[in-house]
Amino acid sequence: MAPDAAFAANIRLTPEEEDVIAGGEGPVLQKVMRTVVQYGEALGAERLVDISGDGHLVIAYAIPGVAPPLEMLEELVAAGLRTKFPFTLDPRPPLDYDNWALDAQQVAVLDGMYRDQARYEDLLLQLGARDADAYTCRPFLEEVGNIPKRGDILAWSESACVVYANSVLGARTNRNGAIMDLLCNIAGKVPLSGLIDDGARRATWRIDVKTADLPLPQLLGAAIGRRVLADVPLVTGLDRFLNADLDAPTGDYLSEMGTACATAGAVGLFHVEGITPEAVAQGMDVLAADHRTYVIDEGVLADLAASYPVLWRDGDARPEKCYLGCPHISIAQIDWWARSISAALRERRQARIKVPTTLCAAPQTLARLRAAGSAVRDLEAAGVMLSAGCPMQLFDNDLAAGSAIITNSTKLRTYTNARFFPDRRIVEILVGGEI
Amino acid sequence: MLLTFKGRPVLPGNVTGVAVVSHGGFNTYASFFASIHEPSDEAICADRGNADLCGRDLAGKVICVPSTTGSTSGGAVWQRLIEIGNAPRAMLFSKAIDSLAAGGLIVADLWAGRRIVVVDRLGDAFLEAVVHGDAITIGEDGGVVIRRHGDEGQGEV
Repeated sequence: MAPDAAFAANIRLTPEEEDVIAGGEGPVLQKVMRTVVQYGEALGAERLVDISGDGHLVIAYAIPGVAPPLEMLEELVAAGLRTKFPFTLDPRPPLDYDNWALDAQQVAVLDGMYRDQARYEDLLLQLGARDADAYTCRPFLEEVGNIPKRGDILAWSESACVVYANSVLGARTNRNGAIMDLLCNIAGKVPLSGLIDDGARRATWRIDVKTADLPLPQLLGAAIGRRVLADVPLVTGLDRFLNADLDAPTGDYLSEMGTACATAGAVGLFHVEGITPEAVAQGMDVLAADHRTYVIDEGVLADLAASYPVLWRDGDARPEKCYLGCPHISIAQIDWWARSISAALRERRQARIKVPTTLCAAPQTLARLRAAGSAVRDLEAAGVMLSAGCPMQLFDNDLAAGSAIITNSTKLRTYTNARFFPDRRIVEILVGGEI
Repeated sequence: MLLTFKGRPVLPGNVTGVAVVSHGGFNTYASFFASIHEPSDEAICADRGNADLCGRDLAGKVICVPSTTGSTSGGAVWQRLIEIGNAPRAMLFSKAIDSLAAGGLIVADLWAGRRIVVVDRLGDAFLEAVVHGDAITIGEDGGVVIRRHGDEGQGEV
């Protein structure tokens, strides 16, 4: 539908934006800008602001109804439009079948579901995708290199990336949905609303972590998300365990915790006392005066894990598969799995694990690991498969529904029938073959 | 019984329809993921986490919710439902519309060519009043009238 001529924006526009809305840059960019302006009006923004950094888009897979319609992308490409800055995307679907131990029926279904994948990726490259390997949910890892600067204004979508960019990197982005993310990055504009604005970035919850040891980040994040939903929490008590200089282990921890927060609730921003940039800069002033408080101890986390229902067809089944790396994991995290699995196998005088396991990481992370050698050698010798894909996409068509799949991921557990276990327990199960 | 409420028309229109009601947040993707594959005249809510709506047909209905909760991958769903013929007729939000619902519904409106009417900020009292099966009349100005079917003096709507 062409925008009607009578459209009059209530939002305050710059002369340049007015010109685009009036059709001065062509009808397709006019429609893009009008979409972004209406989005701003719905969110109560008084104006738009310029995007200042690379994008990250949530939809990397061409399932009709999930991906933007190809005809829409073709319309954008035909008009010569592309994003102001390059963008990365979420992981590709699991089309590297060898790494997922799939049966022939599953391969046939996936081939059908993803029949438009190559055409879709080609259109995305023309619209501004950074390169053919720009597919991961950890774009801010050093080897991937989409690392927003503090204060950058972004239009990101994937919730795991939004929460990390806002919280750990100090950039500013709302949780934009699929397609709107692309259109904002083409317009180069986002509404000044929500987490872009200072007002919404103060914490309305204090989460006081009182555990004796560093809690499992996937469980801690789930506990926080369930309680605060879409609010902003300040987490206190973690600076007893994590390094204040935001080193790689701290980044790994906060990536796992943030992804779980964003999934179990709808958290787009958290602060961690003494660690994340706005908490360091503002101290306890980052906390709103009328905040609520929630204490998390070992009991809270144990109760949460015990509350997860078993959604397998056969609750007593032996685990059929294990998926790790949701979100994608770093070189250090992969090293931990390699060392832990190798040690457990040595202890049992066993050569290989008993549960087919796929571990997911960014293409650049896997390339670096392969160049370095040992961890990949150990994992592959143990029977672990490595993929740059996303396990979630296996479940989109009920392919794996009800199967006895285990994971260490809160996100995968939330959206699928996979059963959650802590990392160390997963190692035992992989080696022993049963729960 | 007639109950009237006034919200903010985000995507205005004059429509009538039958209410389905969720008191918890509405997960667009989880609700519709099973309904976007083939052209259909029904859209059975597939969200196991939503006891109010799971198993109910949402096609052609007026969906009454506080807000949506996700996921960010749900943006294209609205456009797809319009294209294959099983979209809801309207979305009524008791709270201010969230960024994910606003983005998806506005994109669908401008790029898929058929409107799902959207009104937000109807207030908590609206969601407390409305029940499954109520006949809803929505006005272009954001006015919402609930007519409870079978009430004295009210005929078929």
